[in-house]
Amino acid sequence: MLIEYYPSESVIHKLDVRTKSICFITITVISFSFFSPLVNLFLVLSLWIILRNINTPLARVKQIIRPLMPVFIIMLLITGLTYSPEKFQMKISKEILFYLLPNKSLPFCLGGLFYGITLVCRIFVMVLASSIITFSTPIEDFLQLMKKMKLPYQMAFIIATGIRFIPTMQKKSEMIQEAQRARGSQIGQGGIIKSIKSYIPVLIPMIVDSLRMSDNLAIAMLSRGFGAMKTTTDLDEIKMHKCDYIISLLSLLILIAALRASSQNIGAL
Amino acid sequence: MITKSPIITQSPVLTKPERGSVIVEVDHYKYSNAVADTLKGLNFSISKGEFIGLMGRTGAGKTTSLMLLNGLIPHFFEGDFKGKVLANTMNTQRYRIQTLARFIGLVMQDTETQIFGITVEKDVAFGPSNLRYGKEKIHELVGKSLKAVGLSGYEKRITTELSGGEKQRLTIAGVLAMEPEILVLDEPTSELDPEGRLEIYKLLSSLRKENEVTIIISGHDSEEMLQFTDKILVLEHGSICWQGKPGELFSDVKLTESFGIRPTEVSEIRDHLSSNGQKENLPVCNSIDQLVEYISQSYCFKPSSNLALNSTAIKNSSQSDRPVVIKAVDLNFLYTSSKSALRNINLEIHKGEFVALIGKNGAGKTTFSKHLNGLLRPSFGDVFINGRNIKTVSTSELSKEVGYVFQNPDHQIFSSTLWDEVEYGLKNLGISENDRKTRVMEALKFVGLEELKERHPFTLGKGERQKLAVATILAMETEILVIDEPTTGQDWEGTKRMMTMMEKLHKRGHTILAITHNMRLAAEYANRVIVFANGQIVLDGPPEEVFYEQEKLQKASVTPPESAIIGNRLRSYGLEDFPVTISALVDQLCQKSHGEINVN
Repeated sequence: MLIEYYPSESVIHKLDVRTKSICFITITVISFSFFSPLVNLFLVLSLWIILRNINTPLARVKQIIRPLMPVFIIMLLITGLTYSPEKFQMKISKEILFYLLPNKSLPFCLGGLFYGITLVCRIFVMVLASSIITFSTPIEDFLQLMKKMKLPYQMAFIIATGIRFIPTMQKKSEMIQEAQRARGSQIGQGGIIKSIKSYIPVLIPMIVDSLRMSDNLAIAMLSRGFGAMKTTTDLDEIKMHKCDYIISLLSLLILIAALRASSQNIGAL
Repeated sequence: MITKSPIITQSPVLTKPERGSVIVEVDHYKYSNAVADTLKGLNFSISKGEFIGLMGRTGAGKTTSLMLLNGLIPHFFEGDFKGKVLANTMNTQRYRIQTLARFIGLVMQDTETQIFGITVEKDVAFGPSNLRYGKEKIHELVGKSLKAVGLSGYEKRITTELSGGEKQRLTIAGVLAMEPEILVLDEPTSELDPEGRLEIYKLLSSLRKENEVTIIISGHDSEEMLQFTDKILVLEHGSICWQGKPGELFSDVKLTESFGIRPTEVSEIRDHLSSNGQKENLPVCNSIDQLVEYISQSYCFKPSSNLALNSTAIKNSSQSDRPVVIKAVDLNFLYTSSKSALRNINLEIHKGEFVALIGKNGAGKTTFSKHLNGLLRPSFGDVFINGRNIKTVSTSELSKEVGYVFQNPDHQIFSSTLWDEVEYGLKNLGISENDRKTRVMEALKFVGLEELKERHPFTLGKGERQKLAVATILAMETEILVIDEPTTGQDWEGTKRMMTMMEKLHKRGHTILAITHNMRLAAEYANRVIVFANGQIVLDGPPEEVFYEQEKLQKASVTPPESAIIGNRLRSYGLEDFPVTISALVDQLCQKSHGEINVN
């Protein structure tokens, strides 16, 4: 996820990573504080509009959502059927749409459906919000943020190097698969056990190669002076602008208001 | 005259310790899990500003010696170490590797594990920011280093998207940014094509001139070592067995060969000419210019009056009467919708041909070859193997007809014995147990590994692992064999063994396609050379024809073998044939000097 940064000139791209993180937390808390689907539907809609307007590919998001569709339907059915009407406070939530079995057993109540919608919306909120933040923030900014949070720089280094090596490892795995396919192996084909077994000729060279690489990596790190000093120089520093302060403040106010509202039973089912 | 006896220097060190100098006095060093000493009685010294080449067989201790210089030995690879190393006046045992790194820069062979940054700029800044330099200074150093390696303007590029040559230059820039006094490079060119290789040496040479950096490089590149270095150190069994001027080493073919180092083509030609009893007192020739000048003066060529006849001299070694085994019709391959990797490839390869596919990295050689066993599928056009369109055939089915030996044997070895490794492919083909036994044995015998059949593959050396990879494909008894860069990263003896093996395979009746940067292999063994450039075939024909198309080769960034270059230069003096190998050129010249050349 973290490497999918798409450069663009949008307002969201220009915001500081801290502002975006505060907004992200606010949105997450709101999403989980209210049970009424209205709140979450509103969040999904707003996030969707933002995502559409920051010039980043929507296809990636659709790719994540599409395989989840059956899960969403199952969730709606289960919540609808398993929540009995007595559990809800609102009148409309107690309404029963139909009974799954004869003799009025297994009622499907509206409250359960609403709750299901909320759950589905929460997943959407998480996917959309995290997509917006990762699409619009370069990885260096996240590393800076970690440093500002006083995490040791070695940790940021591990993450940055890990990300740097994702394409390398992908390429390695492709090369190994090609080499084995050229020997007639049918990787990932056949029944479950056979298909799992067929990955062994890929996994072993991959592991052996990674071990060799890790040794070389250590040599190269030392040769470039890694660990010579207690800290390292930060090349670019993240900066909060006026706009960042305003948005962060607004976001915090909304968060407080939302928490108050939810404590007063607003948006319950 | 040439010194015949190797100069063995165990003499006291003459260099005085100053900045940029190296003094090594190692009694012995043994890796902690090794049985024998890797270094034994290693003594040498290097003065500030020298450009030193470190040569010798694989396993002679080159990498180990280089790792002494920045303290990786004994700090990182702890082992049994006795001795003293002074690099840049610093005793490496007393300083941390990270401290030494500030003065002694080390570039290793594998570029992939030396690049840490996501962008070029960030990667170069990694070293100086570890040293806590100020931001301004780092930016300045990054700019300077990138300029020095010719990567200015690449600052924001993503490192994983660079080409092999660019990556290698980036690793050098990363080390340069720490402003080292001594630059140590361990086989930095082994993964590069000839053009990239030459660029690295040129770059180092200019660095030395401009920044007065001491440079120590190891490798198997005889021509470049001869041209660029001041001094060669030859290692054998962990100690220096010869040191001196590169010209002295390479002018003596027997001496060079005795160290397992490839002689340059020029010196081999010179050696052949003199050993054929032609000319007793041949002067030392270390460059093409010298040799051409010498030959043109001492061999009496008749002024060429019948150039028109010459073109018929090309051997017609076409095998067009044999059946076609590979056929490509308008083959196109696109990586993405806009980026094409192969464009309109039309070609027929006949049974029993030995084809060399050459061209710079990224020209499309491998992309083309991967179509032959269906690892890649044409975007447009068709590929036929033995008359069957591969569109309808799976890779596992094609693996019965086309064997593909990949460049890196470690990408396929996974079994715990050599036997199992070879048997794996046969199991995939569904061969019966009895047949498997005979086939595995035969394949192991062919590559000369039958004695080691119960050994674990990872206990073998790299050259042997490469042989094992060949055996795994051989056992599948495919008619067509594709071998991807069979000699890359091997020393000269390994290269020779591999070439002999390919010749043997060819004689056995296999159709062979070798992807290679080794022009000598192409000239000596192949009967057909296909040159790729920008995803297209630009030349296709017997080596004698292809290697004389100078203009087209230059456009494709291919340098012909030196014999062909010399042959071409001699044409203006009346040489009529098209020699591409050493023996062909020498034969031609011998005929000339005997005056036996037939004008008709």
